[in-house]
Amino acid sequence: MKLVSSVSFKRWEYFILLALFLEIAVFGLINSSFFNFSNLLYTTSDFAHILLVAVPLTLVVITGGIDISIASMMGLTSIVTGFSWQMGLPIGVSILAGFLAGFLAGLFNGLLVSSTDIPAIVITLGTMFLYSGLATGIAGSLGASGYNGIGGFPEGFVSLAYGGLGAVPNSLIIVLLFSLVLSLFLKKNRVGRSLYLIGDNMEAARYSGIKIRKTLLITYSLTGIGAAIAGILLTSYFTSARSDLGSEALLPALTAVVLGGTDIQGGKGSVAGTLIAGIFLGVLKQGLMSMGVTNDVSQVVTGFILIATVVGKVGYSFFKQQRLNRRALRIGLQA
Amino acid sequence: METAEEKQKEEILVLSNIWKSFSGVSVLKGVNMTLREGEIHALLGGNGSGKSTLMKIVSGIYGRDAGTILVDGEEVVFQNPSQAHMGHIYLVPQEPQIFPHLSIEENVILGTGCKVGDMTREIVRIGEALGFCEDLSELAGALSIAQQQLLEIIRGLIRKARVLILDEPTSTLTFKEVNSLFERLRVLKSQGIGIFFISHRLNEILEISDRVSVLRDGNMVLCEATSKLDHIKLVKAMLPEGKAGREDPCEERRQSIGDETVFELQGFSSEDFKDVSLNVKSGEIVGLAGVVGAGRTELAEAVMGITGGSAGKVFVSGKEIDGRTPGRCQESGLVYVPEDRAAHGIFLGQPNYFTTTSSILHRFGKVFMSSGKEYGIAKRFIEQFRIKVAGPDQVASTLSGGNQQKVVLSRVIACDPSVIILDEPTRGVDAEARLDVYNIIRSLTAQGVGVLLISSDLEEILELSDRIYIMYHGQITGEYARSECDIETVTAGAFGVQGSHV
Amino acid sequence: MFSVLIRKRAFLVFLIQIVLIIVVGIINPLFIRVSTLSGIIDSSLIIVLIALGEMFVLLTGGIDVSVGAITGLSAVAVGLSLNAGISIPVSMILGLLAGFAAGAVNGIGVGLIGVPPIIMTLGTMGVFRGTMYILTGGSWIDHVVTSYKRIAGIDLFGISALAWIVLLLGIISALIIQKTRAGRIFHYVGDNREGAFFMGIHVKAGVFWAHVFAGLFAGLAGLVFVSQIGFIPMQTGSGQEMRAVAACVLGGVSLSGGVGGPMGALVGGLFLTTIDSILVFLKVPAFWNDAIAGAILLSVVLLDFRFRKAFEAQLKSRRAQLVLEESALEEGAV
Repeated sequence: MKLVSSVSFKRWEYFILLALFLEIAVFGLINSSFFNFSNLLYTTSDFAHILLVAVPLTLVVITGGIDISIASMMGLTSIVTGFSWQMGLPIGVSILAGFLAGFLAGLFNGLLVSSTDIPAIVITLGTMFLYSGLATGIAGSLGASGYNGIGGFPEGFVSLAYGGLGAVPNSLIIVLLFSLVLSLFLKKNRVGRSLYLIGDNMEAARYSGIKIRKTLLITYSLTGIGAAIAGILLTSYFTSARSDLGSEALLPALTAVVLGGTDIQGGKGSVAGTLIAGIFLGVLKQGLMSMGVTNDVSQVVTGFILIATVVGKVGYSFFKQQRLNRRALRIGLQA
Repeated sequence: METAEEKQKEEILVLSNIWKSFSGVSVLKGVNMTLREGEIHALLGGNGSGKSTLMKIVSGIYGRDAGTILVDGEEVVFQNPSQAHMGHIYLVPQEPQIFPHLSIEENVILGTGCKVGDMTREIVRIGEALGFCEDLSELAGALSIAQQQLLEIIRGLIRKARVLILDEPTSTLTFKEVNSLFERLRVLKSQGIGIFFISHRLNEILEISDRVSVLRDGNMVLCEATSKLDHIKLVKAMLPEGKAGREDPCEERRQSIGDETVFELQGFSSEDFKDVSLNVKSGEIVGLAGVVGAGRTELAEAVMGITGGSAGKVFVSGKEIDGRTPGRCQESGLVYVPEDRAAHGIFLGQPNYFTTTSSILHRFGKVFMSSGKEYGIAKRFIEQFRIKVAGPDQVASTLSGGNQQKVVLSRVIACDPSVIILDEPTRGVDAEARLDVYNIIRSLTAQGVGVLLISSDLEEILELSDRIYIMYHGQITGEYARSECDIETVTAGAFGVQGSHV
Repeated sequence: MFSVLIRKRAFLVFLIQIVLIIVVGIINPLFIRVSTLSGIIDSSLIIVLIALGEMFVLLTGGIDVSVGAITGLSAVAVGLSLNAGISIPVSMILGLLAGFAAGAVNGIGVGLIGVPPIIMTLGTMGVFRGTMYILTGGSWIDHVVTSYKRIAGIDLFGISALAWIVLLLGIISALIIQKTRAGRIFHYVGDNREGAFFMGIHVKAGVFWAHVFAGLFAGLAGLVFVSQIGFIPMQTGSGQEMRAVAACVLGGVSLSGGVGGPMGALVGGLFLTTIDSILVFLKVPAFWNDAIAGAILLSVVLLDFRFRKAFEAQLKSRRAQLVLEESALEEGAV
């Protein structure tokens, strides 16, 4: 059962944007470096990888599905990149190999989701395990388990994550480009349009002749691509290919999606909302860190925000229904 | 007026001034009703009239916004179904609620507080009296729909229900099963049990009930002894004033029927229907009459390729369509307006133009869709079909049933079809929109489109069709030209009474 | 045939396990020694307990991905209180309380308020993990009172006492779910949630208690962990939720609800642990364990799906046959 159409979507995006500005203002008052714009831009590279998976995750959730294997796909990409490099392949080819690994992982998810009626949560729970297991296994076979990782990457690769156009870091540029493409895809492309239709009512989409399987394959591949790019960026950032890179990205990514206004049951959502919410969460973590609050507490805060957002939506819808029904009764009795 | 004997029968249930709204829309507006001991009280009304909601309130599934319920003279408030069960009220839902992985016995005693084995003998006894002889330890998932319905009735009797509510109990039963059910109901009646019988089948209501209440748009508009009623009075009560009359089909339409056969089925068979052969000519409206369960929707869905496992040939404009999927059928000019609009036909959470263009997305360009073009198409239909919306952006769930149906029609007509299969096109549609829909259908035929009309509203079939097929139990059992039949022939045929062929 | 695969799955998996053990034993006779086998049982206790709790949630048709974090949280609670000098029984109670409270939080969110289970438990997973860090200040709990560690060492007929307790818990759970009125609710909610509501079942309470049990058992797993392992790293419980789900699915618990039981969790957990041991004995490097477990989970889920579809097709054709028989009778009679 869908919730009563709650707050208008446009209004929510502006609300989150406002919250973001307020947040920066508050943190800035505590720590003036937040008012330094180029500083702010620089800190985005800390959470760019989260945005890179949150945005395509939005598309998956719009179709009514979910993908919890995104963190594992990042690790797998990283390891495959490192593995190829270790095997002596040129860096460009290694990056391509890693990218391919992430893409294929996403494609595999899409294949399983679209050809069985097994819920996406279950499939991606299994693939999450499988992909992280594969990453650990490959890393282990190279003797690079745990915190060591595979290193020795060339200078050029390392500067990928650290370079930029003026004050804008490369990772932010990539995030914005990727988001732009996906946003246009959603709003303007006919396959993107069918994502909303599938999420709203899969049966009606079937009856309308929409190619559901093909569409889902594309959607889940996109999360694979996003995870792949994120994994490569992280590898560059840490100058090391590790299987646990990005392992904590799932919670903030999903929170960004939900906080950005996307309906977990499907049929509603936007890239812009996720992006703004993701930046909000990223800045929040940075701000808390600057106040001495550790990473782990941020996890608590993020988890809390996720739950609170959904509880809020459920509660709002419930009370609105009550209000509407009471009004209808009043009007009816007066007649 | 009622006989002294009738008046004396105790009122076991009294509903006063019941109000109920959903999302701000009032579904019940101060309904009053009573149920007497040993009475079969029929409840009649169109879609959205509120009859199901009313019964769900009585059985504790919904709470009421206002009004009182008296059971045996005492006021009760049911906050959940089990309280209603304790008050000896039981609802047999339209779709039996079965727990497929549990045994039949457990399905029956679920929620009563008894353990499996406590009531076995009792269940067998009640079951046999109803004609239900399954092994109680079998999994309920293997039961047929008719058996599931019996299971529901057994559930009610095990709970010593004095008020039994049957919500459309015959919609999936065969003719013989219906008779069997009525036998049992008469037995229950003689034991003093009061029965609410919700149905849209006028014949059945007139046959089995003692009193009839008609609900329209949340209000009770008629409550009379059945002996004083007939078809016409009932139909009149259900329609709003001024629209009761159904005219004879006009002659002019006949002339638009062409020679070309736009749609043909040959020997079409599957699990749900056998050897169906029929055809539709250009500009013709062919009605497919039958009761629910005859297999007509199953036929349509198999034709469109939504369900598989069917054999036989499908021809559109003379060309056979192979490997059918909804998309392919649409491309070949065959479109389908589904029976269940909310579940299969419309995207409720989206702007209405999303639905309008959902079948023709491929026309809008590979990379970028032109929103101007989309809007244009949506606006054209809004104007042409007089869809009452603020604009293409309005979310579909806020539209009335009639306007939603018009949007669904827009979707299929946008495909430029040569044949349209309509399945219950005016279900849940208000009277004014219904006339609009009929006009749309007629204007389509004037352009040479062929229409296959599936409807359980037999008067609708008679009003619109040029030719009528009767489908019963998965087979075509009759074919008539419009001028050769009337409501009696068609009704009889739909119910399986053997009739004559053209 | 398929109904057997679904109804008697636990038994089947147990058989397969015995066969596997024998086969491996032939390859490497060291495998079939009492100490090895009882060692497998002991190392399976943690995952079995978590799976047992997860089973309740899966039965109702939901899912809980925070159980690993709850295990960690409860382990931390026990470890901290033991090191603070609190007596063993009280520390254990605190650990269980932590599990109960965590489960209750999930139960309120999912059961009473209506948050989708994946969202709620993903969120609480973060909250519980974070809380673990906060409580310990981010460092491991390096050691625990020896007397507590000895509990894991107590033996009874060659198998640790803890194992017997877990078996007992499994049996009690099975009895509750099969025989008691309240216990049946989990099946009802999972098999047909709407129907259960119509029948007057307290669906919300059922979902609430399912999560509470999941938390309680995860808490128990934490207690066992501390005793068996003796120190508490920050990663305690991480990733266990998936293995728990895998164990349940292996043992015949359906992910759509309504099918399966505690014995399935037991057998499934044992099986996964056996696979791990087998890999060791076959000299497969440990870092491939997760990949193999993941592959097993996926295969099991996919096969389970296939079996279920075949079973339902069988039911459908049986129903169609009944209808045909009926109509043949009808036509004969007319």
